[in-house]
Amino acid sequence: MDEQGCPRCKTTKYRNPSLKLMVNVCGHSLCDNCVDLLFIKGSGACPECGTAIRRSNFRYQIFEDAQVEKEIDIRKKILKDYNKKEEDFDTLREYNDYLEMIETIIYNLANGIDVEDTRRQVDSYKKENKDAIRKNQSKLSRDEEYLEMLIEEEEKTSSLRKQMIHDTEVLEKNKKRRDKEALIDELMFSDMSAADILTMHKTTARPAEAVDNTSFQPAQTTRYSTGIQRGQQSGLIPMPMTEANPVYHYEELELERCGPIYPTVDDIIEVGYLSNVRAASESERAGGFEATLCCQRALQDALGGLFYYPELPGQSTSVM
Amino acid sequence: MFASSTHLKFWTFSGENEIKQLRAETSEKYLAKHASGLSEDERAQEFLTQSEERQLVRHFEYVLKEFCGKFQPPMPKCVVGTSLAFFKRFYVHNSVMDYHPRDIMLTCMYLSCKVEEFYVPIGQFVKNLKGDREKFADIILGFELLLMQKIHYHLTIHNSFRALEGLLIDLKTRYKDHCDAEKLRKIAEEFIDQSLGTDASLIFSPSQIALSALLASSSKEGINLDNYVTGTLLLGSSEDDLQKTIYQVKRIRYMIKNQEPLQRELIQIIQKKLEKCRNQENNPESEIYKRKMEEMIDEDDEIRTQKRAKLNEGRETDHELFGPLNPI
Repeated sequence: MDEQGCPRCKTTKYRNPSLKLMVNVCGHSLCDNCVDLLFIKGSGACPECGTAIRRSNFRYQIFEDAQVEKEIDIRKKILKDYNKKEEDFDTLREYNDYLEMIETIIYNLANGIDVEDTRRQVDSYKKENKDAIRKNQSKLSRDEEYLEMLIEEEEKTSSLRKQMIHDTEVLEKNKKRRDKEALIDELMFSDMSAADILTMHKTTARPAEAVDNTSFQPAQTTRYSTGIQRGQQSGLIPMPMTEANPVYHYEELELERCGPIYPTVDDIIEVGYLSNVRAASESERAGGFEATLCCQRALQDALGGLFYYPELPGQSTSVM
Repeated sequence: MFASSTHLKFWTFSGENEIKQLRAETSEKYLAKHASGLSEDERAQEFLTQSEERQLVRHFEYVLKEFCGKFQPPMPKCVVGTSLAFFKRFYVHNSVMDYHPRDIMLTCMYLSCKVEEFYVPIGQFVKNLKGDREKFADIILGFELLLMQKIHYHLTIHNSFRALEGLLIDLKTRYKDHCDAEKLRKIAEEFIDQSLGTDASLIFSPSQIALSALLASSSKEGINLDNYVTGTLLLGSSEDDLQKTIYQVKRIRYMIKNQEPLQRELIQIIQKKLEKCRNQENNPESEIYKRKMEEMIDEDDEIRTQKRAKLNEGRETDHELFGPLNPI
């Protein structure tokens, strides 16, 4: 793996540990020193590809591959316009096609394939769907709504828990204080020996503590922090989308017979054909073989083609 | 499923006349290629006539059947049926003079063993033959692909044996009060065996042959199955279908009954004649055949060496690119 470095001043991360690479829309990186140097005026051409770029568009490079940065840039821009949500489509398939289209556009732009055509396509899409885009921008998608709800709920529960902890702490403090006061009172006024009083107080305080401990256990969480419910609750398992497309219907295959109608498997069993063929042994049945199979095949062979008759002009059809 | 098979589509002909015509065309094609400058008489003298070809094919069909009967391990009947079907199909479009029936016969058997899932390795297969077994093995393997090609890779044969089995099962089930089906089996199977010696399998459907066999057997046993055929088997079919089926059955029975007997004494003479006029290119013992094979092998070698040369070239340029392998 090559050392990461600035393509202009050839500094590398090794030589300058504080090197920070920056990247612009064209996907070529520069170190921050070079950016400062080259773009004093605020705008200029990329030293690699000559694209006119602005200084304000420089970002710190997060990924090692500048190409990835470029793609992320393009993706952000494209997704701003192509912001339809799953709910906007009738079928899952259409939605997937739409996603596929977006990916194609991004890929094309990022890799310089048919850039002009793709740009034009994006522009025309923007024009055609102006209203829809604006509407979708303000609308939160179902996922986002769900996430927001989760966050809200989590906040609620955490504040509740805090409150509970606080309450119990206060309660405990009060109790301790009261206990202490009672002990001192007793020590002052009781006739019993001091040692007896102390042991008696210890034994009464212990169980109370123990009880406190059990009651203090936090309410069992039914969700993970990510919001997925614990245990086997079918409510949140994502159900496969049922498509509105016409569903495939199996139609029984019409066999060419050229003969009388074949008996079906049910017929074979009902009429009693099976008593006249060798029964399948246990090991054969384990392998999927049934006596009906060979019986059916023999009968089909016997019946199929019985009506075969060559069709030839000039052939006499009279019975001999 | 016979009704949608290649068996019906490509290898069931309208009648004896069509087959005869096809065979005549095949023979003429061979003569046009190998005896173009000869007069009618000379042709008849030097080359096999159509009837002689037919005699020879039928003789070898007989030999094939006999050989199958003696074969070790014993063969199921469907293997015999399939090899005969291959043999018949092969000689519809190929002349006896082009490919010797002895070679093709063995190849048909070997191939049908494979097709009918009764695989016998070639070493074991040729143990059934007398003489130079290695040579036979070479011949069989040499012709196997050609045979498949000539029958257009239509390898599924619908034999009449299973159809007969089906009819017997049906008889036992739906007509059990009126006859003993097992009694009919022996003669019916013999009838199908006989039908293998004719062109019946090229003209009729296997179920029709099986039904004819059943009816032939029943009439010999003195059992009347007419009620079964019209009242049970073909119940619910149209009058037209019924008449046609009955007519076909009659044709089959007539055909099998009136088989021309083989003329053994002629076979020797025809075989001698064949030795002179056969296509030496397809005779595994001829010089021409050997030369052809060698050429083919040489060609293969040549292609291989060319490929190797190309590869080597590629490697050399690689060296140039990356420098010698051992720089030190």
